[in-house]
Order: sequence, then C-alpha cells, then structure tokens
Amino acid sequence: MTEQLDRRADTTRLQILRAASRQFARKSYSLVSLDDILADAEVTKGAMYFHFRSKHALASAIIEHRAAAGRASVDQLLARKLSGLETLIDISYLVAVEDIGDESARAGLNLLESIGRTDGLQGDIHGQWVTAFAAIARKAIRDGDLIADRDSDGIARLLVSMYLGLRQTSNLAEPERFLRDLEKLWVLVLPGFVKPERIDYLNQFIKRRTAVAMKRATPL
Amino acid sequence: MVRQARSEATRSKIITSAVELFNEIGYPATGLGDIIDRAEMTKGALYYHFESKESLATAIIEEGSARLSEAFRSITSSSAPALETIIHGVFVVADLMSTDQIARSGMQLLRAFGEFNDAAARTYGGWTAEMTECTRQAIDEGDLRGDLDAQAVGETIVGSMLGAELLANATTAGADVLQYVAQTWKVLLPAIVSQESSSYFDEFLAREALRHSAETVAD
Repeated sequence: MTEQLDRRADTTRLQILRAASRQFARKSYSLVSLDDILADAEVTKGAMYFHFRSKHALASAIIEHRAAAGRASVDQLLARKLSGLETLIDISYLVAVEDIGDESARAGLNLLESIGRTDGLQGDIHGQWVTAFAAIARKAIRDGDLIADRDSDGIARLLVSMYLGLRQTSNLAEPERFLRDLEKLWVLVLPGFVKPERIDYLNQFIKRRTAVAMKRATPL
Repeated sequence: MVRQARSEATRSKIITSAVELFNEIGYPATGLGDIIDRAEMTKGALYYHFESKESLATAIIEEGSARLSEAFRSITSSSAPALETIIHGVFVVADLMSTDQIARSGMQLLRAFGEFNDAAARTYGGWTAEMTECTRQAIDEGDLRGDLDAQAVGETIVGSMLGAELLANATTAGADVLQYVAQTWKVLLPAIVSQESSSYFDEFLAREALRHSAETVAD
C-alpha cells in the first residue's frame, strides 16, 4: 500500500519537475511564476508544496537532477574507453546536443547561472566538473596526446569556462551556429595543450563530431 | 524471493564451474560428474537446471554472446560516426573475449557446435545483422565507399574478426588477439573506406591499436 502511494508521489514529483523544466528552459528564473508551473503540470498547489517548499527549492532540485543525469552520461562515455582527449571532446558535444534540445538540460544550466551563484550550488557543481575533467585530462597526458607539463586542473577549468562562456556568446536556438562556434573554440584552444603532431588528427575528429551533432541536435 | 535468488546463485555456480573445466581440459573431456564435483553440488541440483551437457553448453553460448553483444551495442549506440564505433566496438569485444571467461568459453563452444546448435546459428546471424546495419550507416555517412554491398561488408567484418580471434587462440592462447584484430583492420580498411576519409582512418586505427597495447602495459 505505502509502495503504491510512494509511486504516485514520485510520479507527481516528476510531473512537476518536467513542467518546471519546460518553463525554466524558455524563460529566465524571475519571469517564471509558480502558477505557470502549476497550470502546466496540472497539479494542485498543495501537491506542489508537499514536494517543494518554494520556487527556489524547485529550481535547486532541477539543477541537482540535471547534474546527476550529466554524471551518468559521462560515466557511460568513460565506459566506452576512448582516449582521454577524445572523451573530453565527446563530452562537450554531448552536453551541447542536450543543451540545445533537452528541456531538463537547458533548464538545469540556465538555473545554475541564475540562482546557483548565490547559494553555493554553482561552486559545487562546477567543482565536480573540473575534478572529473581534470582526471580525464590526466589520462590524456598518459595517452600522449597532451603536452606533459600542462596543468590538468587548469585545462579542466578552461574547458568548463569555455562551454559556459559559449552559452552566453552564441545562440542555443540556432544549433548549427552554436555547434560551429563550439568547433571553432576547440580548434583555437587545442594548440595550447595538445602535442603539435596530434593536432591535425584531432581537428578532423572535432569536425566529424560537429557533423554528427548537427544531425542529432533539434532545437527546443 | 529468497529461493529464487538461491536458485540463480546455484545456476551461475554451475556455469562458472563448467566454464573453468571447459577452459582447462576442453568440452569433450569434461563429464557432468566433474562439473558436479567442481561446483560442490548434488546431481539433482545440476539436473534441475540443465538436462544435459549440451544444454549447459547452450546456456554458456547464450550468456557469453549476450555479454559480447551488450559490449558492442554500448559502443555503437554512441553519438560517434558509425565506422568509428564499428572499429572501436570490435576492439572492445575482442578484448572482452580474451578477458571474460564466460565470453571466451562461449566463443569456443560456438565454434565447436557451429551448425549443429540453434543458439550458435542465432548468435552468428544476430552479429552479422547488426554489423550490416552499422555498415549501412557508415556508407550513408560517407566513410565507407558508396558502391559497397552493406551485407557483404558486414559479413566480411564479422568473419575476419572471428578468424583473427581463432588464429590468436590457436597460436598464442588468445594472448595477443588485439594485435591480430589491429592487423586485420589494417588490411581490410583500405579496401572499404572512402577516399576522403582514408587518411583519417589510418590515424584512427593507429591510435586505437596503440591505446590497446598501452593498456595492457599500464593496467
């Protein structure tokens, strides 16, 4: 009996999260009202407050939810056992394709920018990314693609900054442009830490990823 | 619930023991009695799960090929271009064949039974179908030449990789199967890759081969 109730509560919670993601993916935090979310989710105010105390709590839950999903996708990519640098490039394209076409991904990253700064969430989550990317960058050094004396934490921070910055300067609503801009950034930064003799191959690897991502990415 | 879990544990204990014995002394020399001794089980427990040595072999073929297919699929379901996933997937599968006991034993039984066993026919058929599908995609993406017959290429890839595994096993007990696979790709790729993609794939293959030989040293 309780199991059944739990399941129903989970469904409601997911319904609310999904509706909220739809809103936060398209509008800024301050422009989304709880009433919009309630109407979209088709749940009562009571049900909503049972799961989330406030708009802020709901937004934090979306960020956490997205961060967990992101970690799972990265784990899946790591399990494919590509080289470290190829894995880093693949992750950036995976994030881009989801950011372009997936409401929960877009909402999670939007909210991280708007509310994450004040309550420490941004520091936490960016910190997790940097740690994960740095570990992969160290693998890339062992693989022999990166120049050995480069600082893996520095590379990881650069890559995270590069993507977050791209979200501001490019346009997620235009997938082709966004992906081409991502490609340009990669091509620009590679010589900073990749061995010269590996660059030609990796530039081609990046171009091929752009081509595949363009086929897969569909705007919201 | 508890009983089901215990029964599952018994079944997998039998399979593990059989795989060990098949790997040590071969399928023909292994008797059901040896398996019972190794698994420390009663005859009744074994017969409850498997009615004969052949049905045990069938289970190992199915389990082994399921593991290999799963590994291959986890690679090809990625967002990378199809030919990259085919090449990388074959390396990962070959690696699993030499490291995973059940997968390895399954392959050997597959060869031993070949045409006499439905599970064997299904397994080979499934692999070629999957490879043909990937090949078709790689032709669409322009990495493989447009005038190729996807089915023929799919069969050739599966056939030559199985052959490479066989050769590695026969000559070195499977130790350097990855080297054989790399060699086979090196000969096969120039015959099927499109002109525009050919220098990229030379490098892709070189990196793949290097990485796998480095892994065995590093890990």
